[in-house]
Amino acid sequence: MFTELNSILNTSPESFTPGEFILLSDRQSDASFLIHHFLSFYLKARCKVCFVALVQSFSHYHAVSQRLGVSLTQAKEKGQLIFLEGLKESLSVFLPQEENPDHQAMSFLRDPAAGLRSLYEFVQSSVVGSSGGGGASAEQWGPPVLLMDDVSVLLSLGVRVGAVLDFSHYCRTTVCSQLQGDVVMLVRCDGEAEEDYADDEGSEQLMRGLTHQSCLTLHVQGLPTGYCRDIHGQVEFCWKKRQSDGQHAPKKVFQFKVHDKGVSFFARGTSRAVL
Amino acid sequence: MLGNVRSFTMLSELLQGTDVGGFLLIQDSCSYSGRHLLKSFIDAALNREEVVHVLGLDVSEEELKEGLKSLVFQRLHFHDAYADPLGWTDNSPFTVHQFSSWRLAELLKQTAQSKPATLVIDSLSWVLRHISPTAVCHTLQQLKKGGAVRTIIGLLHEDMHSRGIVGSVCRLATSVITVEPGSKGEEALAKITKRSKLGKVTQDEQIFSIRKDLTVTVLSKPTDPGHKQSTTEEQVDPTANLTFNLRLTDAEREAKEKLALPFVFSKEKKTALLHSGPGSGKILYEPDASDDYDQEDPDDDLDV
Repeated sequence: MFTELNSILNTSPESFTPGEFILLSDRQSDASFLIHHFLSFYLKARCKVCFVALVQSFSHYHAVSQRLGVSLTQAKEKGQLIFLEGLKESLSVFLPQEENPDHQAMSFLRDPAAGLRSLYEFVQSSVVGSSGGGGASAEQWGPPVLLMDDVSVLLSLGVRVGAVLDFSHYCRTTVCSQLQGDVVMLVRCDGEAEEDYADDEGSEQLMRGLTHQSCLTLHVQGLPTGYCRDIHGQVEFCWKKRQSDGQHAPKKVFQFKVHDKGVSFFARGTSRAVL
Repeated sequence: MLGNVRSFTMLSELLQGTDVGGFLLIQDSCSYSGRHLLKSFIDAALNREEVVHVLGLDVSEEELKEGLKSLVFQRLHFHDAYADPLGWTDNSPFTVHQFSSWRLAELLKQTAQSKPATLVIDSLSWVLRHISPTAVCHTLQQLKKGGAVRTIIGLLHEDMHSRGIVGSVCRLATSVITVEPGSKGEEALAKITKRSKLGKVTQDEQIFSIRKDLTVTVLSKPTDPGHKQSTTEEQVDPTANLTFNLRLTDAEREAKEKLALPFVFSKEKKTALLHSGPGSGKILYEPDASDDYDQEDPDDDLDV
């Protein structure tokens, strides 16, 4: 959890706006540090987290989270974190060893054209379980949160853009509207931004579709002037709704630098290397 | 009164809702959401005591009703296609595949009313993702002519579809408002195209902003003649207010203009270079028998 980011977003683990769909995106850069932030943020806020991790292994996230002061294994044991390790689960789709209902989540790999309904059903069963009220020994967790890292990899697995947008719509319906939880998704783009609708660039259309669905977007890019050792890039924050205090500040841009145990954010031109 | 008539802009005319039997399309993109304007239209219709039916796909009922006054909710009917648009759970109130003129007319009849209602579709992009554009256009056309609906207002995300599809839907509309972000924070730009029944097309551009109570303030046109006066600035003299002197006296200016620049070839310079003066070395050339000695100057045709 990065404290500077919390102050920019005006949130804290003790108080954050429920029912938000936050979109993290990057273009020719790497926004995965934001996933680590939100993962540790929501775990510290005592929310029930369902993490669909399609690009990295559990040990990767565990190692980074430990540096941020959160233990994923503990959270998993306590039942606070439900972790879908996409890389591992995908093997079991192609080499089924035993009949395990949990493995249905990645069944879209067999038939990508059919859509992501099974993945949605996995998400639904994970998040609904928390508010259902377990036994006496189950701890009461806060609102459910869905994290996805990352959504654009689904396109390269053969899923259509429309199917991914349907999936994100259903996640929003269940997690944000019904259960007043948050959804955080990461989408990545390779090429240059295209103004017009382009048929072949699926990730651009996916990013636009998700931007329409989200209420807060954080867009990570490299610096327009090129590589810099002390400034690793810039983040553009876009709020769609008016803030609760009536202020309408739709866009803000900050620069950042990734350190070993955190990320520092600063206004443009105020990097320590410059001042 | 005359002053008021003059200040009626196309946008405020559309908000008055005088366009009966029409189809108003609001187009937006990622950079600015058209839903605020859509809500203003809904608010204006409710304030005129009209009955409004909303087919909600993009956002939930709560989110759409946010900002609208609760007094008018009895005239606002929200048909929830947001909760389960594809029928993935067993009891879905409305799925996107039910988007057809007879099904929508049925929906409108469910709520007994004396006059035809205004149908709001939020958003057409959701429908177009699952239903073919031809079927959607057919449905919209039938609804327009059917008589069950007074006006249709649709929201379309133009950056989510190809130009052909956007063009087809725009062709059906009697008025199209394309919204874009404005130059200042609260402001937005609306590009309006209105098609009258006789086929006449009028276009306009207006800058507007929406207040918290959803009323629309039309600010000005983007190219306001009032702005031109402020752009003609006085010529700034760069040689003023310096600690050193950059100005030239008349004699200095004359000398400067007389100066021959080193790499500009004038006639005098050319002859001076080609015909070297006394005292400089001379080249004596005696051709051999096998040499092809041409008396002509090979550089004669150069225009230096």
